[in-house]
Amino acid sequence: MIRRGKGMACMWYPIGFTVAANPSAATVKINTDGTATLLTGTVETGQGALTVLGQIAAETLGISTDDVHVVSADTDSTPMDTGAIASRTTYVTGNAIVRAAEVARQILFEAAAPLLDVKPEQLEARDRKIQVLGFPSKSISIGKVAQHSESVIGRPAIGSASYNPPTVAMDPQTGQGKPFNTYVYATQIAEVEVDDETGEVEVKKIVAVHDCGTPINPMLVEGQIQGGISMGVGFALQEEILFKDGKQINPNLTNYIMPTSLDMPEIEVELVDNYDPTGPFGAKGAGEPTAVPTAAAILNAIHNAVGVRITSLPATAEKVLAAINEQRAGEGKAA
Amino acid sequence: MLVQLKVNGELRSADVPPETTLLKMLREHLGLTGAKLGCDVGDCGTCTVIVDGQSVNSCLMLAAKASGRDITTIEGLANSADLHPLQKSFEELGALQCGFCGPGMLISAKNLLDKNPEPTVPEIRDALSGNLCRCTGYTKIIEAIQDAGRAMSSAGA
Amino acid sequence: MATTVKDVKKGAKNLTTDKDLTAPAVKPLTLPKDNPVIYPLTLPESEARRQTPAVGQRASRPDGRLHGLGQTKYIDDLTFPHMIFAKVLRSEHAHARIISIDTSEAEAMPGVLATLTGKEIPVNSFGPTLQDQPVLADSVVRHRGDGVAAVAAVTEQIAADALEKIKVEYEVLPAVFDSLEALKDEIKVHPPHSNIYTSKVIKKGDVEKALAASDHVFHRQFRTQMVEHVPLEPHSSVALWDGNGRVTIYTSLGRITLGREDVARTLGMAQSKIRLVGTIVGGNFGGKNEITNEPILALLSKKTGRPVKCTFTRGDEFISSTIRHPFIMDYTSGVNKEGKILARKIRLVLDGGAYCSWTGTTIGKGSILAPGPYNIDNLLVEAYAVYTNKTTTGAMRGFGAPQVCFAYESQMDDIAEKLGMDPLEIRLRNAFSEGSSSPTSQVLQSVAVRESLIQASERFGWKEWTQ
Repeated sequence: MIRRGKGMACMWYPIGFTVAANPSAATVKINTDGTATLLTGTVETGQGALTVLGQIAAETLGISTDDVHVVSADTDSTPMDTGAIASRTTYVTGNAIVRAAEVARQILFEAAAPLLDVKPEQLEARDRKIQVLGFPSKSISIGKVAQHSESVIGRPAIGSASYNPPTVAMDPQTGQGKPFNTYVYATQIAEVEVDDETGEVEVKKIVAVHDCGTPINPMLVEGQIQGGISMGVGFALQEEILFKDGKQINPNLTNYIMPTSLDMPEIEVELVDNYDPTGPFGAKGAGEPTAVPTAAAILNAIHNAVGVRITSLPATAEKVLAAINEQRAGEGKAA
Repeated sequence: MLVQLKVNGELRSADVPPETTLLKMLREHLGLTGAKLGCDVGDCGTCTVIVDGQSVNSCLMLAAKASGRDITTIEGLANSADLHPLQKSFEELGALQCGFCGPGMLISAKNLLDKNPEPTVPEIRDALSGNLCRCTGYTKIIEAIQDAGRAMSSAGA
Repeated sequence: MATTVKDVKKGAKNLTTDKDLTAPAVKPLTLPKDNPVIYPLTLPESEARRQTPAVGQRASRPDGRLHGLGQTKYIDDLTFPHMIFAKVLRSEHAHARIISIDTSEAEAMPGVLATLTGKEIPVNSFGPTLQDQPVLADSVVRHRGDGVAAVAAVTEQIAADALEKIKVEYEVLPAVFDSLEALKDEIKVHPPHSNIYTSKVIKKGDVEKALAASDHVFHRQFRTQMVEHVPLEPHSSVALWDGNGRVTIYTSLGRITLGREDVARTLGMAQSKIRLVGTIVGGNFGGKNEITNEPILALLSKKTGRPVKCTFTRGDEFISSTIRHPFIMDYTSGVNKEGKILARKIRLVLDGGAYCSWTGTTIGKGSILAPGPYNIDNLLVEAYAVYTNKTTTGAMRGFGAPQVCFAYESQMDDIAEKLGMDPLEIRLRNAFSEGSSSPTSQVLQSVAVRESLIQASERFGWKEWTQ
C-alpha cells in the first residue's frame, strides 16, 4: 500500500571560512566608451559566478550586465581569490568587486565634477550616465567621462580592492567566538510516497524557501536550489560508496546510484525577502545551503508516512522495509 | 584503419587504431570536442550523439562500426543562420550550469523532439534518463525542452 | 625588388579611385552553402543582460550560449602540439609500506617517455591544513587511492598499459576501517601520531544541569555514509614549460591561487615562475579544491620536454578524489513540557579518511552548526576526526551541514511527536530571531529562519495537507 507523508527541515549555514582569512581581490577597468572589464581570480564552477560578479560590477558602475566583460581564472593576470568554496563567492568576491568598482567610479566622479559644475560627492552612476543626485537631467554619459578622464586629464578609470569578512577567533576550550560574518537560512518541505510492501520511497514534491539576501540573479539562485535538492535526494535515498576489506566495490556510475531525471520530485522554489547590509547590495550566498536540509526533510516525511525513524543514510528500500517490518513485529508482540 | 563517416552533413575521415571508439575519433581525430568523456562505459551520457537517427553513447560504439553512417553532434545543432530552438531555450532559461552534460543532454532532447514534438514531462524525463546531471537537478532542462518543443511546433505548423 | 616611392604612390592612387571601395558596402553577401561558420550569423540578444540596474535581473550567462553550441572548452578538450599523456598507478593495498618501486620494464616499453615516483618530488607533501598527504606515496600507502608512480607516454593507451608493467613491492600493514575502531588508536594510520587528528569543543551554559532539569530527554544516534561529488567532468590538467623555465598548468582546479602556492611549494619553485589557468570547472562541489596531479605533470613535462595531460578515469574519481565525511552523531536533547529546548549535548565522530584534506573546516563548521538554528542556552558539542585507511574525506557541499541537519531535524520531529506538537510549532518555538545568540555566542543579524519556516509551510499547505 502506498502511504503518503510530509516532512520539514530548516537549517542555517555560514558564508565564508571558519574564522580564517579568506580574502578576494578584484580589479575593475572602465573603457573609454563606458563599458568595463572585471578581473577576478575566481574560477567559474558552473554556478554562474562570473555572471553574478559581472552584475555586481555593473550595478556599482551604473551600467548593464552586458557592458561588463569578466576575465577570470589566470594566476598571471587576475588577482588572488580564495576560490569558489564555502559559498563565499557572491559575498566575499562580490564585496571586493564593489570596492574596486567604487575606486574606479570615484575617478570618474572626480573627472565629471568640474564638467558638471558640482562636487564629486554630489554625483551618482546610473543608467550609463554620471548624473547629479537629485537633479539627474544634469549628466554626462559614462563613456564620455571615462574618455575625458583618460585622454584629457590623464587619469585612467581603474580600481583594485580586496575584502575579507571580519571574524573573531574561537576560544579553544569553549568554542565561543564569531567565526563567520553572516549566515543564510532555509526551510525545505518534502512530500513522499512510501510503498509499505517494498520500502521504496518516491519524493513527489519539495517546496524550498531559501534566504540568500538579495538575489543578484534569481534565475541562477533557483538553479542552485534545484541542483542542491538533487544532491539531497541522492544523499537521502540512493548514494553510498560500498566499502569492503579496504576496497570500494562500486567505484563506477553503474553501481553508484545517483539521481537521474526520473528520480527528481516536482520542485517549488521561493526566496525569503531579506537584505543583508554587510553583503554586496544585500546579497549573501546560495551554493551549499541548497543541499543541506533536503535529506532531513525527506526522512521526516518517511517517518510521517509509515511511522519509522531511519537513523542512518541512505534510506534505501531495504532499510525502510526492514524498519517497517520490525515495527509491525513489535506491534504484533505488544498486541 | 581508415574510417569514413558523415558528421553534421560533412564527409570526414581519419586513420585510427582499430580499438578507437566513435567518441575518441570525434574528439581526438576530428577536432569535435563537444561530445564529452565522463565515464567511458556508457553510464553518464555525456558522449551522446545521433547515429542514423538514433541517440547513441559514442563511447560504446567503435569508430569502425560508425563507418559510412550519418552522425549528428552538438556542433551540428545550429545552422549557419540561426541557433536551434533548444539552444535558444536552454540559454534563455538558464538550463545548464557547468555545461558538461549539456551536449549529451541537448542531443537526447533533439532526438526526442524530432520524434515527439510535444512530449509530456514523464516522456521528457524518460528520454533524459541516460544523461546524468549533477548541477541542475534537471528542472530547468525539462522546462527548456518543453519550451523549445512549443517553439518548434508553432514554427513548423 | 624594393618598392620605390613611385610604385607606392601609384598603388595609392588606384585604391582611392577604385569604384567598389568608395561605394557604400550594401551589396549583400552570398555565402556558399557549405561555408563553415563557428557560430550562427544571427544571434539572439538578451534583454535582461542589457537592463540597468543590473542586480535582480534574470540575466542569461555568456557561457550558457557556448555550452549550447558545444564550444565551452574544458581542460580535457585542450590539445597542444606534441602533447603526451600521463597515467597514475594507484596502491593495491589499504595500508602498506612500500619496499621498492621498479619502473624499468615500463620505461622500456616503446612509446613510454618518462616515469615518476614520489622520491623525485622535491617536497612530497601537501594539504590545506596539515600537509600530511604525499603527492605520490614514497614510503607508505594509506588507502587504495594513493598514487605510487606515474607514467608519461605518447598515447593514453600506452600509458595505461605501462602502469601494469610497474612492479611495486609492498609489506602489507594492518589497517583500520571503522571510525569507532580508529578512536581506540590501536592501529595507527600516521604513526606516531594519534588517529584523532583534530577535535573541537563548543560549550555554553551547563548542559548536565539543564538535562537533569528537563521534563523530557531524547537520545538517538544518527549515521551518514560515504558519498562522492560525482562531478560530470573528471579531474584534468595539462602542464607545459616554456623556454624561460616557466611552467603553465591548465587545470580543473577551482582554487588556482592556492594551487599555485602548492605547486611552488612541492616543486621548490618561485610563484612567479608558475602560471595556473582554469577555463570552466565541469562541476566541483568541493572535490576540486586542492591539487591532485599538477606537480606530477609539471615534473613529467620537464623530464620529457613536452606538454603532458592527465585526466582521471571515472574509477579514479571514486577512489582517489576526496569524498564526504561519514558522521556518527550522538544527540541528546532536554526539553520542558512546553517544547522549549533547554539543553543539547552532541558528540560527533568524523571518519577522516587517510589524510586530513578539508577535515579541519568540516569539523569546525559541523560543530558550530550541529545544534541547529535554535535558541539553546546550555550546549556541549564534542567532535573528533579520526584517520582510517579509507578514501580521503574532504570538502563536499556543506562541510558537515547536511549530516548534522539530518540529525537535529530528525530529533526535532521526535520531540514534536512525543509532546503531541506540530513539527512547525516546535520549530517556531525554538528558532533563532534577529539578535539571537548562536552556539558560539555570536549575536546573529539578517536572520530569516522563522520567515522561511512560515513561508514554506504556507506554500506547501502544511496545515491543510492530509494523508
